[in-house]
Amino acid sequence: MLVNTVVAQIVNFALEQLDDDTMKNDMRKRLGREWLFCDGGTGTILQAKGLKGGELPETWNLTHPEDIIDLHAGYLAAGSDIINTNTFGANALKFDNVGEIVTAAVGHVREAMRRTGREDAYVALDIGPTGKLLAPMGDLPFDRAVELFGEVVRHGTSAGADLVLIETMSDSYEVKAAVLAAKENCGLPVLATMIFDEKGKLLTGGDVDSIVALLEGLHVDALGVNCGMGPRQMAPIVRRLAEITSLPIIVNPNAGLPRSENGRTVFDVGPEEFAEEIGKIAAECPVQVFGGCCGTTPGHIAREIATVRKLPFRPASEKSRTVVSSFSHAVEIGPKPVIIGERINPTGKKKFKEALRQHDIEYILQQGLEQEECGAHVLDVNVGLPEIDEPTMMEEVVTSLQGVLALPLQIDTSDAAALERGMRHYNGKPMVNSVNGKQEVIEQVFPLVAKYGGVLVGLTLDEQGIPDNAEGRLAIAKRLYESADRYGVPRKDIVIDCLAMTISSDPRSALVTLETLRRVRDELHGHTILGVSNISFGLPMREIVNAHFLTMALQNGLSCAIINPNNASMMASYHAFCALAAMDPNCAEYIAAYANAAPSPVPAHSCAGGPVPAHSCAGGSVLSLGEAVTHGVEGRAADATRELLRSGRAGLDIINEELVPALDRVGKGFEQGTVFLPQLLKSAEAAKAAFEVIKDTLQGNVQQAKGRVILATVKGDIHDIGKNIVKVMLENYGYEVLDLGKDVPPERIVQTAMDEKIRLIGLSALMTTTVVSMEATIKLLREKGVPAKVVVGGAVLTQEYADAIGADCYARDAMETVRYADRIFA
Amino acid sequence: MLEIPRKEIYRYLGYHGVAPSTEVEALVGRCVAHLQEVIEPRAIHAVFPLEISPDGMLSFGGMRVSSQSLLKNLDGCVEVCMMAATIGVGVDRLIRQAEVRQMSQAVIYQAAGAAAVEELCDQHNAEIAAEAQTRGLACRPRFSPGYGDFALEHQRQFLQILNASKRIGVCLSDSLLMTPSKSVTAVIGLCKENSTSTIDPGLEAEPGHACQHCGCPDCQFRA
Repeated sequence: MLVNTVVAQIVNFALEQLDDDTMKNDMRKRLGREWLFCDGGTGTILQAKGLKGGELPETWNLTHPEDIIDLHAGYLAAGSDIINTNTFGANALKFDNVGEIVTAAVGHVREAMRRTGREDAYVALDIGPTGKLLAPMGDLPFDRAVELFGEVVRHGTSAGADLVLIETMSDSYEVKAAVLAAKENCGLPVLATMIFDEKGKLLTGGDVDSIVALLEGLHVDALGVNCGMGPRQMAPIVRRLAEITSLPIIVNPNAGLPRSENGRTVFDVGPEEFAEEIGKIAAECPVQVFGGCCGTTPGHIAREIATVRKLPFRPASEKSRTVVSSFSHAVEIGPKPVIIGERINPTGKKKFKEALRQHDIEYILQQGLEQEECGAHVLDVNVGLPEIDEPTMMEEVVTSLQGVLALPLQIDTSDAAALERGMRHYNGKPMVNSVNGKQEVIEQVFPLVAKYGGVLVGLTLDEQGIPDNAEGRLAIAKRLYESADRYGVPRKDIVIDCLAMTISSDPRSALVTLETLRRVRDELHGHTILGVSNISFGLPMREIVNAHFLTMALQNGLSCAIINPNNASMMASYHAFCALAAMDPNCAEYIAAYANAAPSPVPAHSCAGGPVPAHSCAGGSVLSLGEAVTHGVEGRAADATRELLRSGRAGLDIINEELVPALDRVGKGFEQGTVFLPQLLKSAEAAKAAFEVIKDTLQGNVQQAKGRVILATVKGDIHDIGKNIVKVMLENYGYEVLDLGKDVPPERIVQTAMDEKIRLIGLSALMTTTVVSMEATIKLLREKGVPAKVVVGGAVLTQEYADAIGADCYARDAMETVRYADRIFA
Repeated sequence: MLEIPRKEIYRYLGYHGVAPSTEVEALVGRCVAHLQEVIEPRAIHAVFPLEISPDGMLSFGGMRVSSQSLLKNLDGCVEVCMMAATIGVGVDRLIRQAEVRQMSQAVIYQAAGAAAVEELCDQHNAEIAAEAQTRGLACRPRFSPGYGDFALEHQRQFLQILNASKRIGVCLSDSLLMTPSKSVTAVIGLCKENSTSTIDPGLEAEPGHACQHCGCPDCQFRA
């Protein structure tokens, strides 16, 4: 009996699995091969049934089951094939009974299918945005978002959903979290649609191209657009989708643009007009799935289906585009050479290594911003040092960089764990540097690219080393393409590194590289990449060789050049080549870069595209160091310092006799209300530039800091401009600042203070709601007996407030903090 | 294009009517031009009937608010307009960039962003006022959650009623901070023209500067 039951359970389980697989396959077989139709609006219909504004529609799965079944039945009767569960906002941020709500929701669609005799339809587990902005701009961590969505997916799958439909997403990072959650928690088809505005932008800034790159990389089954506007306004976006995506396209518009009427949102486009507009889209663009969103009803969908079915069906077609993306835009590899900035890399860079060891993320961000300004299209990110935790550092650097700059990143590491952390947390479709012909590396890297998406750099070397001829390198390239096939990575997403080896040890090495470039392009129809400057290793005046080799490589078909974009000669080669090779229409980029350049050769290491530094004041008179600091003229402050050093003044003398008095004048002016914040900071920046020059000459004999101070914006607070102002000023006055950043838990502040034996801690809070964490931090510091003084500041703080939470000092502004520090460390 | 009033930028930067230096003026000019390129001004609103219970509880749009300061602002009104506005997340990235490179520009972006979103609110408020006028109604000064005793906790429901995260991308952090940072929510009381608050007869129907109705007289940013 017992045995029988067990056997029956096993058989049942197997049958269910089979059923599940057939259903899945059935959906995947039909998607993109025949017309499929989604349902239409939910909220508008539920409002008509009595849902109040501000009431959460998902609660109706439990309180009004018949109304929900009725809603689904209406769309099934209209002919919809894909029915969304009423689970748009059903996540643990809003509900403590997510499982119950999701399970009921899936059941309601099934019941509606049974009642209408439409068992051929599919239950789509509907997933909408969390309603929170993801970190770093918001406070929802990416991993937490994946967890939240994952919970919904697990409940939906066990309740019997046939597919996952992620919709109305306005943030590329959030949609990535949702797709990963779906992929990691079920094997069902995943469809994703985004909400764009009329300019074709997401609320978080992304465009159609960047989203297509991301979602194709993540291997969704279909992608598209929903909500936000009506079919007429959506048409240009659909047109662009159809031009660039190789996946089936979903189009779910609203019934026109929303309009407010007595506090309610209404839509004006009726079924007839809606279907007519949809018909125009279907006739023009190969779209495979149509439905509706806000304001549409079963009436709209029925008319839409009738109109569309009369038109010839066109399947999706392969677009053969190689694209990487950031949160904001895409970069296509192929049509025009791509510059990949190489500066975020510790190899051979003392300062960079030091920054990694000191956890100086700001320094790394500066390297990124400089390269962006100089015209890089993609940034290589390598943070490997033997003594640091590379996976953690990679995640932190990738997330920090993408919070500041818009360029796509190339994640560069030989550590598989670091690669995965970087790829997982990357907001877009990255470049990945790299795989090579070694079997072990192939097995590590390809699965990650298959999962997260990316354009993969394939080095033409293997267990036997680097072939010294093109034939050998081509053979490895072919093997890499075959590996890509095996792992389901599209061949177009492989970029072959033909390897530049120095001509100082093998005079033929450049020729071999150039031949390989040509043959990858002509025989394998592939894209190529080179770390260009390796060609001149060991030679004097390397940039002469590098710049000429870059031109030769570009002429031989190089698609991506990894170079230092801050190097004017390299950028000159690039701009000249593009203009000469008809890749720069009207020579516009060339002219933009050089129209205002001096006729003499551009000095090396200055960036042609960047802003011109102001070296003197408007009148053209030459400022003294003191004047440069008080006027806040950064470039002049550095130059004046160099002049003083050349004239024989000692670094310390310059600091004590020129810089400190100048800073004091500005600081006093600020306190007296004659100098204001921008001027104070400009002076601080000028002084910093002067300090840097002096520091370089002191080399090792660095001046002792006056004291070490922790600064942190307290837990819950994510705006840290106030803290950063204080940091600049403290550093200027000779303090070493341990900047713990924003949203810092009390425990971390206490731990750091104890570990580093800190005597002064500065805390910042912006809101009354976060002053609470400030108080908690101070309390914990006192409990643990940390012998440090605490100075507090922030928009809502007052002396009384500071006293009440037990702070030692309230500082109204940055200068007051400096003065307090001077007292503590006197 | 949203014109960002320079005067307001300097007020947020702490210039109390003092003229900025030519260097700062030039820098502000460059920053404002750059800011203009990245902002995406978006504003939404919805109008609801107002009910005031005998014990002073305010009800509108499904929200119930107990607040003496808001009651003072809304007393005598028949409707409430709830609005939300933002200039988008681009300014936050710009501030962050400047924090890495040049703090002096970060504070200018910060101030200019604040001035920009206030200007957007003024413009949107003017549209609301014009629409109200056609119905014989006038606007009271904007009043935001967090002013006086109008608790910040109402933000959650406020944004939900307007569906602000989906429509304009305004979300709330766990500590009730709005993201993007340069975002504003406010209620605007709509009253019959010429009717005044019985509690504060001095409360003009015409919106003056928001600072006039704020309870923080020693604020360093007070206009």
